[in-house]
Amino acid sequence: MIDIKNIPTFKLSQLEKEAFLLERLNNLTEFHLENCQEYSSLMNKFGRVSAKAESIEEVPFLPVRLFKHVDLLSIPHNKVIKTMTSSGTSGQAVSCIYLDKETSALQVKVLSRIVSDFIGSKRLPMLVIDSKSIVSNRKKFSARTAGVLGFSMFGRDVEFALDDDMSLNFDRVREFVGKYKDENILIFGFTFIVWKHFVEELERLDTKVNISNGILIHGGGWKQIESQSVSNEEYKKRLLNVANIKKVHNYYGMVEQTGSIFMECEYGFLHASSFSDIIIRDHANYDSKGIGKRGLIQLLSVIPKSYPGHSLLSEDIGKIHGIDDCKCGRKGKYFKVYGRVKNAEMRGCSDTYT
Amino acid sequence: MIHIPKDIHSKLTFLIGDAEYISNTPVVVYDELRVEFLSDLSKKLLGQQNIRDYPDVATFAFWCRKSNLLRIMNDQDVDHLRLGLGLAFHISPSNVPVNFAFSLAFGILSGNTCVVRLPSNDHESSNVIVKALSDLLHSSKYIDVDKFIHLIKFERDDHVNQFWMSVADARIVWGGDATVSLMRKYDCKPRSREVVFPDRFSLCAINAEYVLQVTQNELDVICKNLFNDIYIMDQNACSSPQLFAWVGDDKSIIDKAKKKLWTDFSCHVQEVHDLELIHYMDKYVDACMNAIHNDNVVSIKHENNLLFNIELSHFHDKQQDQRGYFGTIQEVSINTLDELSEIIDDRCQTLTYLGFSKDYLHRFVVDNQLRGIDRIVPMGKSLDMGTIWDGYDIIGHLSRIVHIY
Repeated sequence: MIDIKNIPTFKLSQLEKEAFLLERLNNLTEFHLENCQEYSSLMNKFGRVSAKAESIEEVPFLPVRLFKHVDLLSIPHNKVIKTMTSSGTSGQAVSCIYLDKETSALQVKVLSRIVSDFIGSKRLPMLVIDSKSIVSNRKKFSARTAGVLGFSMFGRDVEFALDDDMSLNFDRVREFVGKYKDENILIFGFTFIVWKHFVEELERLDTKVNISNGILIHGGGWKQIESQSVSNEEYKKRLLNVANIKKVHNYYGMVEQTGSIFMECEYGFLHASSFSDIIIRDHANYDSKGIGKRGLIQLLSVIPKSYPGHSLLSEDIGKIHGIDDCKCGRKGKYFKVYGRVKNAEMRGCSDTYT
Repeated sequence: MIHIPKDIHSKLTFLIGDAEYISNTPVVVYDELRVEFLSDLSKKLLGQQNIRDYPDVATFAFWCRKSNLLRIMNDQDVDHLRLGLGLAFHISPSNVPVNFAFSLAFGILSGNTCVVRLPSNDHESSNVIVKALSDLLHSSKYIDVDKFIHLIKFERDDHVNQFWMSVADARIVWGGDATVSLMRKYDCKPRSREVVFPDRFSLCAINAEYVLQVTQNELDVICKNLFNDIYIMDQNACSSPQLFAWVGDDKSIIDKAKKKLWTDFSCHVQEVHDLELIHYMDKYVDACMNAIHNDNVVSIKHENNLLFNIELSHFHDKQQDQRGYFGTIQEVSINTLDELSEIIDDRCQTLTYLGFSKDYLHRFVVDNQLRGIDRIVPMGKSLDMGTIWDGYDIIGHLSRIVHIY
């Protein structure tokens, strides 16, 4: 396993970071070429025979959606200790990600390094805005299960705010908050669940709760509440109003690269740590785009070794706002995500009786 | 007159026409008033200021202009007296919006009253045509036309379908295999006829040597034509070529010809075309799936993301099921056109060609006793809709001969 002990999480300049990343990513490309037949066949046919990229932009990538259609592994099946699935909406295909011990352990390490940069390395009392049932089935890991379990390592005395029917248990929340009123509280939940079952529910009940000592970390995407066009600013404003939560950090990440998430800083920008990066690409030719230009987000991560997911082209649109100079002091690229590529209507003669 | 029972009537919405005036009285094919009506429709559509925004509507309007209708009439067999069958019921497809208009035109030119079911989704192109039809019907000249043109909408409903099938003298079913088989479930009149358009597969044959000989100007024209075949309907039309067969007995000539065509074509497409973002992603995922699942794939090339060339070592066992969209083509090299017959079955519809003589193509079909291929058209014409389609003479099929001895 790669040693990340001596690598600072957010203190490497982009130049230093890329040197570190490139070597790791090239090693991973080589490993997957040797160990994943589908990956090597695909790379061969696309004419990508060399594993040695000269820059991180040259590291070959797979479309992230491919994991929804093909099982891709770089380890024998008997080494799989955990299978993670994406949270596809009903009827959609889901991604299956196969983890071995090594990759799974690295996920934990990297996630821990990133999150502790925001909440400190001490475990905090933790309130999960979800129901307990989400973690009771441990065989199949949905993104939500993985998220809750992954973040639980930063918490202690974990309490769940919702009952099994997803209704807000207000008494439990108030009791928890009262118990830990003198220390920081870690609050974790999925973006739309926090919105729908916490913020909107409190508003509907016309009740407030004071968690001024809370730090909310939420992720999982804005898609489910996109129709209500809730902006990140609005989200924070309403949270402040109903729960007096002042520290709110969204994170961006995907089940295909669990661990190396991108956390939102105090100034509202998502940050790439030393262990991952993003590249913005033009949809029409996949050329990389510089600062200030919108395009498809490609995600790089040093973690995926049990499956060829170290370089993935997502269907999310993003823009790099700067490199090495965010006011929060973290180095590297900082960016924002502007939603996902939209589905479009099909034309043609295929079955069309509607 | 056709009587529509109340429970059926209540489920129908008439965009054009009237439930009280559905007649099944036929007229002679190419009736003068009807030809006049269609050519006026053509004028009306082509005269619209925003017609350029609707290339598909323009294509239809261009097809039904008077000179073209007269040309089609002249090509017809005039020895016999022909009349419509009576009532023609059309199920039009949702994804090729203008096809409802072609279907309607074929139906009325062959002398029938047409009831056309429009898809439930609204499409701008069809709205433009419906509006023009409706405006035209308001002029006193065409006061009687709404007796034989009825555009309706209804939700998918067995009873409604069954009703129309039971009164129709002909059914015209667009929409692919599943729709065709669904519509065959219903009882029809014993003498009713059907024109059905199931799923088809189309391909293109290119004479490599010919490509090497063409001048730059000729190559420019070829690129424009090829663009129409591939991109106008996103390769989603059943007549858009999916497989490209390069014909030549010298590998190096084929390689040179491919380079010559694809380099120029790729530039041309980039200059004139763009896709929706999701379609770029779809294509890329699709190409990756091909690389992984199809052992016959030798290489996948893409200069830009508009055109993906998937090169095959030889035909796939189920080549007809290997489909690409939005500019994803499969390519194979063969020594002679005859080798293509290996994959031609009854699902093959259109063979688009470049650099072959008509005689040669004629011989290819006859000598190889092909079970498929209904249209053989020069590059650029794959989407040209006409009264001969899918192996049918549609006007002939929707009319009956009155044999006067």
